[in-house]
Amino acid sequence: MSPDSHDETESRKRLMALMTRHQRQIFAYIYTLVPDRHDAEDLLQETSLVICEKFDGFTPGTDFVAWACQIAWWRIRYSRQKFARAKVVFDDDVLAAVAHTASEMASELDERHEALAGCLKKLPPRDRELVLTRYEPGSGVAEAARRSGRSMDAAYKALNRLRKLLHDCVTNQLAHPEASA
Amino acid sequence: MNLTDREILELNEFCGAVVDGTLTDAQRARLAAWLRDSEAARRVYVRALGQSASLHNYAAEMQAEAPDAPVRLQKVLHFSLWWLTVFPAAAALVLGLWFVPRLTENTVAVDAPGAGDFVARITGSKNSQWSGAALPPGARVAKNQRLELAAGLAEITFDSGARIVLEGPASLDVNSAWNGTLHRGTLKASVPHEAIGFRISNPAVDVVDLGTEFTMIADGKGAADVLVLKGEVEAAPRAAADQDTILLREKESCRFASSGVSDVSDRDKKFALFTQPLALDYFSAAINYVHWSFDEAAGDAVQADVRGRPAGAFDLQIKADAPASLAAAHSEGRRQHALRFDGKLYAQAPFPGLSGSTTHTVAFWVKVPADGKGTDAYSMVTWATNSKKLGNRWMGINWNKDPVEGPFGVLRTDFRGGSAMGSTPLHDGRWHHITVVFAPGDDTTPVQVKQYVDGRLESSTIIPGTIRPVARATAKGITALTDVLFLGCRLGIDGQRKERFRGEMDELFITDRALEPQEIVSLMNDNRLPASALAATGFAPGGPGDE
Repeated sequence: MSPDSHDETESRKRLMALMTRHQRQIFAYIYTLVPDRHDAEDLLQETSLVICEKFDGFTPGTDFVAWACQIAWWRIRYSRQKFARAKVVFDDDVLAAVAHTASEMASELDERHEALAGCLKKLPPRDRELVLTRYEPGSGVAEAARRSGRSMDAAYKALNRLRKLLHDCVTNQLAHPEASA
Repeated sequence: MNLTDREILELNEFCGAVVDGTLTDAQRARLAAWLRDSEAARRVYVRALGQSASLHNYAAEMQAEAPDAPVRLQKVLHFSLWWLTVFPAAAALVLGLWFVPRLTENTVAVDAPGAGDFVARITGSKNSQWSGAALPPGARVAKNQRLELAAGLAEITFDSGARIVLEGPASLDVNSAWNGTLHRGTLKASVPHEAIGFRISNPAVDVVDLGTEFTMIADGKGAADVLVLKGEVEAAPRAAADQDTILLREKESCRFASSGVSDVSDRDKKFALFTQPLALDYFSAAINYVHWSFDEAAGDAVQADVRGRPAGAFDLQIKADAPASLAAAHSEGRRQHALRFDGKLYAQAPFPGLSGSTTHTVAFWVKVPADGKGTDAYSMVTWATNSKKLGNRWMGINWNKDPVEGPFGVLRTDFRGGSAMGSTPLHDGRWHHITVVFAPGDDTTPVQVKQYVDGRLESSTIIPGTIRPVARATAKGITALTDVLFLGCRLGIDGQRKERFRGEMDELFITDRALEPQEIVSLMNDNRLPASALAATGFAPGGPGDE
C-alpha cells in the first residue's frame, strides 16, 4: 500500500467514526432550523456529501460538530427557496439568530438527548406509544391519533401535554441527576 | 429578557405547532418577533425543537428494533447509515479536487462588530438636542446604538431605506438596518417598497411595516399608540391575552398596553397632527461620480461621463482577442446599449484613487445568463487595493459560484479572503440593479460592504476568511495594477487571470461617497442621482461624506 492510499484509508476511517458518532447532533441542528423530518433528512444527506468532499479541510482535534454544522448552515441557506413554500419559514435574520443559539447549545442538547431516554421510560405505556408513533418514520399526528383511538384534536392536545412533560422531566433530571439515578 | 411562565407556556405551544405543522400566520409572526428579539425565547425554541429531533431519533431506533421491522428498516438506514453508501463516490471527489476551500472557524458568518458596524445615518433635523454625545447631521449610527433625543426633531435613515422622524424627548434603539425599538417618545416612520418588512418594536407591540407611513407614540410606561397614515402595518401585541396579529390599514389606529388593546384617545386630533408635513432641514453631502453608459455602437473605446473629475481621464478600453468578439460587445441594454462580456473579453480604465481605502459606491445593471456557470462568475467589477488593511489584495464584485459558501448565483463581493453574500440569485437572464457600498472598517473588519440588489439591502454581513497578505515580491505585480478599474475579468498576482465574466452590463456609476438608500433607488429608477445630492456643496475631507 502506498503512503497516499494509506493516508486515504486512515482519513476515511476517521470520517466514518466521526459521522457515526455525530450524525444525530448534525441532524438535530438542521431540524431546529428546518423543522420537517423529510426536509431535514435531505439536508443531512446533502451536508454529509459536502462533509465527505471537504473532509481534508477539517483539522483533527477541533470541534467536528461545529465544523459540520457550519457546512449544514450553508446548505440550509442555499436551500431556503426550496422551503419557502412551507408554512414555517422565518426570515434570514431570525434564522441566523436561531442558528447561532443552536450552535451554542449543542452540548446542552446532547445532555438533554441522553436524559430524554430515561424520561420516555417513565411515561405510562399508552402515552409513550402515542409519542413514539407520532415520531416514527413515515408516521405523524394522524397515524398516532388513529392507532391510539383518539380524535385529531385530542391527539394534538395530548402530544403538547406530553412534550411539556418530557421537557420538564429532562430539565429536572439534569438539575438533580442524583434523584433520577 | 427573561420570560414569564405564561410566555414560556405559549412559546412551547408554538413550538409544538411548528413541529406538527399547525402554526397559524399570526402565531408565526409573533414567534418570529420573539425569536428575533429574545435570546431566552430562542433557547426555549432550540430546546423544544431539539427534543423533537431526539424523539424522531428514538422512535426510528425503536421501530428498527421491533419484530416487524424489515419493511421499515430501509427508512431507518436512510436516516442513520445511508452516507456510508455514498462515501466511495465522495472520496473520489476529494481525490479529484486540486483545491478544497478550507472551512474553519474563520468562515463562521458573523455580523461585523464594534464601531465599524453602521446601519443608519442622521439625515435631517430641526432644533435637535441630544442627551449625551451630539449626533451632527450626516453622523452614522451603529448597530445597537441608543439614540436619546432630548428635544427637537431628527430624521434617521436606516440602510434598508426606512426613514424615521423622531420627536424629542424620545429614546430609540437602532437594532439593525431593519429594526428599531422605541422606548418612549414619538416617531413617524416612512417605509418605501424596498424596505417592506422593516419593524419597530415596543414593550407593548411589534409593528411590521408593509410599505407605509405610520406613527408610534410610546408613553415610556409600557403602552404605545399606533396610527397608520398610509398603507398598512401588521401589529403583534405583546400582551399574552391579545396574541393575534392585527392588520391596521390607512386611518386606523390602536393603543397597545399590557392590559390589552384599546382605542386611541384623541384619535382624530392625533391623525390631524401627524399628517402635517414636517419642516426639517435635510442634509446631503456633495457627490462626484464617473458614469459609463456603454451607449457606443461600435469600437473598443467607452467614454466616461464625469462629475467633479477631469473629463476623458476615465475612458474604458475594451480588450478583445478577436474582431468578432469586439463587434458583438455592444448589445442592446437596459438603457440603449450595454457592454456584453462573452467570457473572453474584458475592459479596463484608469481610475486615480480607486485603490485607496476611501468610501465609494459602485452601481450598475447586470444581466447574467440563466445557464451561467461557475466559470463565468468572476468578476463583474474588480480592482487591486494598496491598503495594508486589505492585505494589498483586490476587491471583486462577483456572483457566488460556490454553493457551500453561500447560495449559488447570488451577489458576492470578495476582499482579502472575506466576502459579503447576497440572497437573490442573479443567473436568471434578467436585468438586476446592483449597488455595492464600500467604507473603511475597523481593526476587526477592514472594510464595510453593503450590497443592494434591485434597490433592496441584501447584506451587510461579512464572512471573514483567511487573511493572506500578498508577499512582497508579488505585491510588486499588484502595484502595477494600482488605480485601474477592470470589468469582466478576475485579478491575480500576475494581473488578469484567465477567468472571465459572461453576461451584460449597463449604466455603471462609481461615486466618491456612500449612496443613501433613496439615492440608490433614484439611480435605479431614473439613471441619475437626486438633484439634492448633485446640488449639494461644501463636500470636503472631514465632511460627512468622507469616512
